[in-house]
Amino acid sequence: MEDEILRLKAEAEAALSAISQAGELEPFRVKYLGRKGEFTLIMRQLGKASAEDRPRLGKLANEIKQVLEDAFTARESELKAGQARAGAVISEDLSLPGRFTPFGKLHPVTQVMEEVCSIFEGLGFAVAEGPDVEVDFYNFEALNIPKHHPARAMHDTFYISESLLLRTHTSPMQARVMEKQEPPLRMIAPGKVYRCDSDITHTPMFHQIEGFLVDRNVSFADLKGVLSIVIAKLFAPDTAIRFRPSFFPFTEPSAEVDIACVICGGSGCRVCKQTGWLEILGAGLIDPEVFKKVGYDPEQYSGFAFGLGIERIAMLKYGITDIRLYYENDLRFLSQF
Amino acid sequence: MKFTFNWLREYIEVELAPAKIADHLTMLGLEVDACEPCYPDLTGVCVARIEAVHPHPNADKLVLCDVNIGSEMVRVVCGAPNARAGLVTAIALPGAVLPGDFKVKPAKIRGEKSHGMLCSAKELAISEAQAGIMELAADLPLGQPLAAALNLEDTMIEVDLTPNRPDCASVLGIAREVGGVVGNHIKPPVTEVPELAGHDLPFQVEVQAPADCPRYVARLIKNIKIGPSPWWLQQRLAAVGLRSINNVVDITNFVMMEYGQPLHAFDFDKLAAGKIVVRLAGADEKMTTLDGVERQLDEQMLLICDAENPVALAGVMGGANSEVDNATVNILLESACFDAISIRRTAGKLKMSTDASYRFERGVDPQAAPRAMERAVQLIARLAGGEIVAGGVDFKAAIPEPATIKLRISRTSALLGLPLSADQVAKVLTSIELAVAPHDEDTLLVTVPSFRVDLEREIDLVEEVARLIGYNELPTAQPLVPMTFPEQDPSRLLRKKVSNILLGLGFYEAINYSFVSPQHLDLLGLAADDYRRKTVTLLNPLAEDQSIMRTTLLPALLENLRRNANHQNPDVRLFEIGKVFHPMGDAQPKEPMRLTAVLSGRRQPAAPLLYGDEATDIFDVKGVVAQLFTSLGLNHITYEKGAAEALAYGDVATLLSVRANGELLGSCGVVDAKILKAFGIKQKVFFVDLDFDLLGSQPLQAKRFAALPKFPSVKWDLALLVPEKVAGGEMVAAITGAGEPIIEQAEIFDVFRGKNIEAGMKSVAIAITYRSAEHTLDDESVAKVHQKIIDMMISRFDGQLREA
Repeated sequence: MEDEILRLKAEAEAALSAISQAGELEPFRVKYLGRKGEFTLIMRQLGKASAEDRPRLGKLANEIKQVLEDAFTARESELKAGQARAGAVISEDLSLPGRFTPFGKLHPVTQVMEEVCSIFEGLGFAVAEGPDVEVDFYNFEALNIPKHHPARAMHDTFYISESLLLRTHTSPMQARVMEKQEPPLRMIAPGKVYRCDSDITHTPMFHQIEGFLVDRNVSFADLKGVLSIVIAKLFAPDTAIRFRPSFFPFTEPSAEVDIACVICGGSGCRVCKQTGWLEILGAGLIDPEVFKKVGYDPEQYSGFAFGLGIERIAMLKYGITDIRLYYENDLRFLSQF
Repeated sequence: MKFTFNWLREYIEVELAPAKIADHLTMLGLEVDACEPCYPDLTGVCVARIEAVHPHPNADKLVLCDVNIGSEMVRVVCGAPNARAGLVTAIALPGAVLPGDFKVKPAKIRGEKSHGMLCSAKELAISEAQAGIMELAADLPLGQPLAAALNLEDTMIEVDLTPNRPDCASVLGIAREVGGVVGNHIKPPVTEVPELAGHDLPFQVEVQAPADCPRYVARLIKNIKIGPSPWWLQQRLAAVGLRSINNVVDITNFVMMEYGQPLHAFDFDKLAAGKIVVRLAGADEKMTTLDGVERQLDEQMLLICDAENPVALAGVMGGANSEVDNATVNILLESACFDAISIRRTAGKLKMSTDASYRFERGVDPQAAPRAMERAVQLIARLAGGEIVAGGVDFKAAIPEPATIKLRISRTSALLGLPLSADQVAKVLTSIELAVAPHDEDTLLVTVPSFRVDLEREIDLVEEVARLIGYNELPTAQPLVPMTFPEQDPSRLLRKKVSNILLGLGFYEAINYSFVSPQHLDLLGLAADDYRRKTVTLLNPLAEDQSIMRTTLLPALLENLRRNANHQNPDVRLFEIGKVFHPMGDAQPKEPMRLTAVLSGRRQPAAPLLYGDEATDIFDVKGVVAQLFTSLGLNHITYEKGAAEALAYGDVATLLSVRANGELLGSCGVVDAKILKAFGIKQKVFFVDLDFDLLGSQPLQAKRFAALPKFPSVKWDLALLVPEKVAGGEMVAAITGAGEPIIEQAEIFDVFRGKNIEAGMKSVAIAITYRSAEHTLDDESVAKVHQKIIDMMISRFDGQLREA
């Protein structure tokens, strides 16, 4: 009799654990725990057992039935919970998009402008902006570009009147600031500049950042050092840089600064015209004539200045190939950055 | 400036490959723009002689040629009119690939076999126009590759010259720089220049304007024979992009390229009285230049004249009346130095740019004139025959002595950040033919040769030292500067803040040109006396639609919107913060900054459609303004119906003016349908337009902590039926302004019209938040206040309590 009870227990436990769907629960209950189930049958047969065995067997059977009923209940709630979770997956289609309040974006030129400004701010440079409509004096004369200087040919200038023009570079801020302040100076001047030139690679308005540092004992080596930091931050830390001689009337020695082509890495491609290098900024030691014009003694002070074009840097950083896109404000363009 | 590698090697010994030379030049500040083979790959093209010509049996215009290619005879079909027995020419054999990717194969032409093709110079891309197949020198070895036979292996190098280096607008100048790199000196083609005596000459030169013409060298050559230039000369000129004209003109161009000294040849027999007068033009004088254009001159323009008329615009272009042509027999050759500023002015004013003016306006070596003259005279005698008339004119006005500059080694070292010795400095400077002598322990005396017109000051020499050492060889350091706090432009800081808020509201930033079309002002419907019609106008705009500086940002943003809508993107939120320009007479214009935004299409353009595609309405615009102001810390905002400034283009029904602290900052509303139509926009557009500078000048609410409430609040609702004309905003203001201390907030949560509501009335439901700072409120005390409010509202707004 006892064997029979234990066998039934093992059988029921195995059957219970084999149940994987809620639909199988009821047949199990009926078979083992129901009014006409196996345990009821066995209890009924207890009467046939000997009187001294009967209480012990009855207790055992009851205990086992209780254990099985508990196990059944647990399994039942487990399966039902599972069923509920499965139902939730059906009612919530998680492939649907999330709900959000969409943000806009800054124009890529502003983004790059701010990036460059923040690098210089980190180096302790102040930021100041000047007028877009400039007087001839600050745009040219103060920067050692007198009338009829061949360098004026480098600047296709929009004129407003004999003496007023749209600034062709942000360099006038050099003279404007130096006129008012004494060294030491560390400053950048971001802004719009204008040249009457329009083709696939030029827009008549574009953005520049002019920067300069003036103090005693500032050298060309310092210029190289500061610009190296800026380029490493703006591009990759290991971007190769080269300085080569050039000409600007307001700096001497003057330099163009190239970085290894960001497209081909220096092996030569169409973007870098097979040279492996991309010109990204112009720089140099501030010409003594510029100092004299603002009343600084060039024997006492030296300094460097540089100017970089924002559109060009944005083109290189983001791979923009058509400069005209900048000022159409097409959302298909603006949303990419 | 273009030159070729072989040309360069005539003046300097150099072992380096062309690409290497190009690299060196770039690093010397002579930026190489192009470095490419002068001629296409002509493998498979060789020298051949036509031995016999037979008629083609099936074609009148073709012939069959028996062609000797050295090793064998081949038969070729040819259609050139100059194909004749005995002609030495070029043949492209089967397998050759000609320019234009033309593959030469054995072919049958009208039934006759052709083993290759006889070629014209044009087909081989060697030179431009030549009728028929090439006519080569009879003594060229048959079968020799054409490239070798004609010296067609060369590299063209183009340098983008900076304006300070006119000396390098010559092959000799470039050679001198290369000499500095390789440690060789140049070998100029002319080493001795005869003294030019001026007596008994058959011509006269009179310089009346010596300030503008410090040197004028002239010589006469008689009985020359004008004709085509020899192949080598044509080849040199073609390689640098100059067209061959005739031997004399080609020589003047060749010597200009060689020495950087422009020359001009006059037909001597066309010069009245055999006289040259250099003078300034008269006020109303005119002359016709070589290009056939009649030029209006002014009193500052320098002319070369004969006894009667102008014969050349000095330093820019010759005159049509004295031009060398095929009938010319005697020539007067000019090699002069003109003042740079004078030529620059003339060329600029007449919008002319020639190879001569390019050089003169940057500065030509005043000592080059006699040397270039000697070189040209020798070449003319050699290539055009003729007798050189002994002597000539060499007029010299004030030619500056070579400058001597003191260069301090300590100063040079300090500026470059590199300790240098006097020896090092002297060595690099002498490598490019500067004369260097010690002055004292720290100073060198540097004598600048006449061709370096750019070297005048110590700093110019410091740059030379840096350049010759190589910028990349100079050290890299960091400046030691006192620590200071970098002050920032407040307007820029505000721009960053405002931009960030607007980005958060879903706006994209736009940047438009500062110059716009004057038509914008009409499209916007501005009145004739609107202040925005007074514009700053460009004297030389690129186009009419970029001719005035903008006085409002709105038109360009509307154009941006139209562009987006036309590209199937009608859901737009764009803003721009930028300058507008208002004229101030002769002074610099005012450049105030404005903030303008446009909204159109869906409320949340980029949000998933699934969660709503409601269209933008006027309350979105008000919301943008409110959010912007409160985020900035501006709390005292008021709106008024109507805005004078925007009446021209704003829809009257929705136009609002915006004030902060009572000050008018701008307007917002809906763009009038007529204006939209004028801009070609078919959808409703909302705008905000604010004076950004005024916005920035507003006092901001100081940030101040208030203790958090200790007791809970309760919210009681109130629904009133009021006449349509009652403003909801006023109802709220009436409640919050009722002076009840326990009213914390009142907010409208529903406005309803229609079903069960009488026409002309609306139901406004308001939630009132009550809270006491001292205790938890009980229903009774709230009810008392609430009832007071209801009574007040009913009487004040002519309302009725709506049954719940």
